[in-house]
Amino acid sequence: MARSTHTHTRRALAAVGALTAGALALAGCSGGAGDDADGDTLTLWHYEGANSAMGIAWAEAIKVFEEETGATVEFEEKSFEQIRSTASQVLNSDEAPDLMEFNKGNATAGLLASQGLLADISEAVEEYGWDDKLAPALQTTARYSEDGVMGTGSWYGVPNYGEFVTVYYNADAFAEAGLEIPTTYEEFTAVLDAFVAQGVTPLAEAGLEYPLGQLWYQLALSQADRGFVDDYQLYTGEVDWEGEEITYATETLADYVDAGYISPDVTGLKAEDAGVSFINGTAPIFVSGSWWYGRFGDEIDGFDWGLFPFPGADLSLGSSGNLWVVPERAANKDLAYEFIEITMRPEIQALIGNNGGLPVAADEADITDEKSLELIQAFNAINEKDGLSFYPDWPTPTFYDTLVAELQELVNGTKSALQVQQSLGAEYDSYVADFR
Amino acid sequence: MAATTTSAPARSRRTHHATPPARSRRAARPRGGMRKRTGVDWLMLTFAVIAAIAIIAPFYLILVNSFKSPADYSNGGPLQLPSALYFDGIVAFWERVNFPEKVWNSFFISGMVAVLAVLISVLNAFAIGIGRVKGRSWIVLLFLLANLLPQEALLYPLYYMFKAVGLYNNVWSVIIVFTVIQAAFGTYLLASVYGTFPKEVLEAASIDGASRWQILWRVIFPISRPTLSVLVIFFFIWTWNEFLIPLTFLVSNENQTVPVAISMLQGDRLMDVTTTSASALLGLIPTLIFFLIFQRTLTRGITAGAVK
Amino acid sequence: MTAVPFVRPAKAKRTPLPPEEPLIPQRGGRGSGSYWLYLLPGFTLLTVIVIIPLGWNLFLTFTEWRGIKPPEFIGLDNWIQLFGDAKFWTSFGNSVWMIVAMVVVPTLVGLILAALLFDLVGRKFGGKTASFLRATYYLPQILPAAIAGIVIGWILRPQDGALNTILESIGLGALAHNWLGSPDTALVSLMVVLVWIQIGYPVVVFMAALQRVDPELYEAAELDGANWIQRFRAITVAIIRPEIYVVTLTCTIAALKVFGPVYVLTRGGPGTSTIVPAYYAYTEFFQSQQVGYGATIATALTIVIAIVSVLFIRAQNAAERKERAGL
Repeated sequence: MARSTHTHTRRALAAVGALTAGALALAGCSGGAGDDADGDTLTLWHYEGANSAMGIAWAEAIKVFEEETGATVEFEEKSFEQIRSTASQVLNSDEAPDLMEFNKGNATAGLLASQGLLADISEAVEEYGWDDKLAPALQTTARYSEDGVMGTGSWYGVPNYGEFVTVYYNADAFAEAGLEIPTTYEEFTAVLDAFVAQGVTPLAEAGLEYPLGQLWYQLALSQADRGFVDDYQLYTGEVDWEGEEITYATETLADYVDAGYISPDVTGLKAEDAGVSFINGTAPIFVSGSWWYGRFGDEIDGFDWGLFPFPGADLSLGSSGNLWVVPERAANKDLAYEFIEITMRPEIQALIGNNGGLPVAADEADITDEKSLELIQAFNAINEKDGLSFYPDWPTPTFYDTLVAELQELVNGTKSALQVQQSLGAEYDSYVADFR
Repeated sequence: MAATTTSAPARSRRTHHATPPARSRRAARPRGGMRKRTGVDWLMLTFAVIAAIAIIAPFYLILVNSFKSPADYSNGGPLQLPSALYFDGIVAFWERVNFPEKVWNSFFISGMVAVLAVLISVLNAFAIGIGRVKGRSWIVLLFLLANLLPQEALLYPLYYMFKAVGLYNNVWSVIIVFTVIQAAFGTYLLASVYGTFPKEVLEAASIDGASRWQILWRVIFPISRPTLSVLVIFFFIWTWNEFLIPLTFLVSNENQTVPVAISMLQGDRLMDVTTTSASALLGLIPTLIFFLIFQRTLTRGITAGAVK
Repeated sequence: MTAVPFVRPAKAKRTPLPPEEPLIPQRGGRGSGSYWLYLLPGFTLLTVIVIIPLGWNLFLTFTEWRGIKPPEFIGLDNWIQLFGDAKFWTSFGNSVWMIVAMVVVPTLVGLILAALLFDLVGRKFGGKTASFLRATYYLPQILPAAIAGIVIGWILRPQDGALNTILESIGLGALAHNWLGSPDTALVSLMVVLVWIQIGYPVVVFMAALQRVDPELYEAAELDGANWIQRFRAITVAIIRPEIYVVTLTCTIAALKVFGPVYVLTRGGPGTSTIVPAYYAYTEFFQSQQVGYGATIATALTIVIAIVSVLFIRAQNAAERKERAGL
């Protein structure tokens, strides 16, 4: 018995020894992640997939950058969850990168800006002339005040791409039902009724994540003007939560459920489920964003599809895409600016456009892919009307969850439209009061 | 963030029950009567098997969806078998995140935590269970505090502390944190176990002239080894699946663990379901292997007990 | 009649439990002093990793802080807000259901399954069968929460989820529900998922504990005419009582702290039907960045868990000492 104890103990000690050796080796590697103040390396983080439009364009931009400046790019692909949860901690430490993709909006970039974690890049913007390339609505999300409210103040980020919400439709399903693309709101409801009459629930929706809230907001926008958007998003004035726009939106959404346009089951569905139901042909209409475009192109093979603007509305959800931000503690800010400049060049922008993305500064002539051109033209049309109106969950950091929860209750019938509006209004007002 | 509840069997307690030595000479007694399988027995077995199938059914879904192309998944739904086996997604993911590096990180962290936590637990339990220091219950409770605290509460203070000592973005920060958390449980359990350690054995060793340190490592440690192996396996599996703390303290990709790497597939609005499923499968394999080793330790415990 | 003065009977003196002495016999009157040295490494780590953050959290409960700029002292405001916070009390109410799903059901069912596997399947169908079944019961425990969320989503989806599809195919389509999206069924669905996750742990622990039971006792009882239930209660439960304590306490702590499954499945909704304290603290810490208030929720949760644990451990110790003293 004693013998086997010794062998076991020896083996155990050997194992511990091996692990310790590995430990020292690892400790050696992991320490040196952030010491590149030599001006020769650019630490770059983003979280777009390698096959997405941005991923492809930025990979090319990295190549161009390394050729032109001779510096090396240390690129790390991050997970959105990690950046979202730990951004303020990482940027406040030595591990901050030189350039990073980050979400736009008061609750994200705005918050970091107000905490002093992002570098003020207004000078670089002027020097390189990026403000000339960006439409006004796109600039709104790049500038933040001292309190972290977008729209005014210094520049803190630069977007490479844009996004907006539109109506995707299944062209084959429409043709079979003998329906035309609706151009007015009445025609739209007529189309929806026609599908219901066939026994099909026309709208793909998801109540556990963002899609339902976005439809709600779109309905409100159809009754609203720019002033409403400014009040709602920039806190410039009071928002009447029992006023025309929001009452219309909430009641209409409830009506949609009653009329069978939206299934009452949506309270258990996620955005992924909604998207999939459009891809496999179950639902002929999907009101959602340009971020689906690339995936639809890859995965839909049973039918023709396209998009049309939400009928009867001049305003549309949308904004600039995620921003390139430069942390205040970045070691190589100049290199970061040079990289941003490269991403704004026509060639890189065209790459975004030709791969299913929405460039902010591309020439339509450079876009060779027909399907992508469709998307880009739709986006430009909205921009010309200054129609980009951001997203409903932006005003407060918890509004996303609140909106999801309240609309779930609306669809389930556990709260009336008025109650939902009042709950939303209460939370909105209690947060925004600090900014007025 | 799996629901971490743990406990390890207090196996050496079996030595507390004195068994008559005459037992081993009972071999002549026919055991046939106990082995006959009645209808009720088969019914019970069926019941147990049905329960197993119900519990394991979701894993079948993971298997089915791990080898599908995204188009296949979107068009066919999650319940259907793949129309063609598709490996591109998982291969691309493997290379993109440098999966072997992540597996090594997870393995290293979980392994170190398991070993260190057991060591600390042994030392603590020695003092509490065998040394019977004053205020034992309160000391055990104090250690258990590490387990009681929700992890979110630890993040901000530890972030500042680790930053100050330069351990931010270092695997050792994670190892230290989890050693404390797991050792809390280990101390609680091992203290109960050591509390009923047979006095005769300790007295004999003491009479032989062994010091406390020697008794700990030459007598107590080997005898409680089955319990300790169980603790090692539990700690390994729990640490492997941890998400929040590695997410917060392991900033660079080269330090990250498997669960954090898998979260890379979940974007802001889109998600790569089939690759997530496949990578989850890959991530399960090491823990599964560890558990199967663990099973053998458990069964070995049966014979060890009988011999005593 | 002579009045009989009421004399209170003398309180029966409680037989004092034997004093606690180290198990290694003392030599030369060294006392238990040097045992404290063994606690040193554990204590040091504990202080740094746990005690300091705990104190910090306690301090934060009296401040308003957004995480980067210095905190602002606001006295008891957070605590007052907490006591009036309906969402907080709802989350604690839901915790009771979490305890049912993660403690009561798994412990009871786990006990029965473990006894079934060990007693019956192991003896009559071979140890390998029992081990295999035990491994399958334990599998949900090694699944990361995020993946479990996806898989459960596939099963509970309202339109083409596995559960509803199966119900329809066997003609019970009327029972199909929007399991996670409807406030009536969300909590119950979550509880079922939690049972699925938890069940393996008691089974594994109890099966290991059952090995302590001398088979002779079972045989003797069976000869005496005791049926399975009687043997179960008198022998099985009595001998593995320590493990039952441990499992119950650790499962209760986990139930009070539960976060992962709620986060991936329902995010506390619909409405507040599945919100739990740990999730509420998380939203305050990370989404609102109201670190002070988040710390308040977390501290309140810790206090509750600590109280529960103290009661448990004292009851367990008292039972142990009585048993050892042969009372």
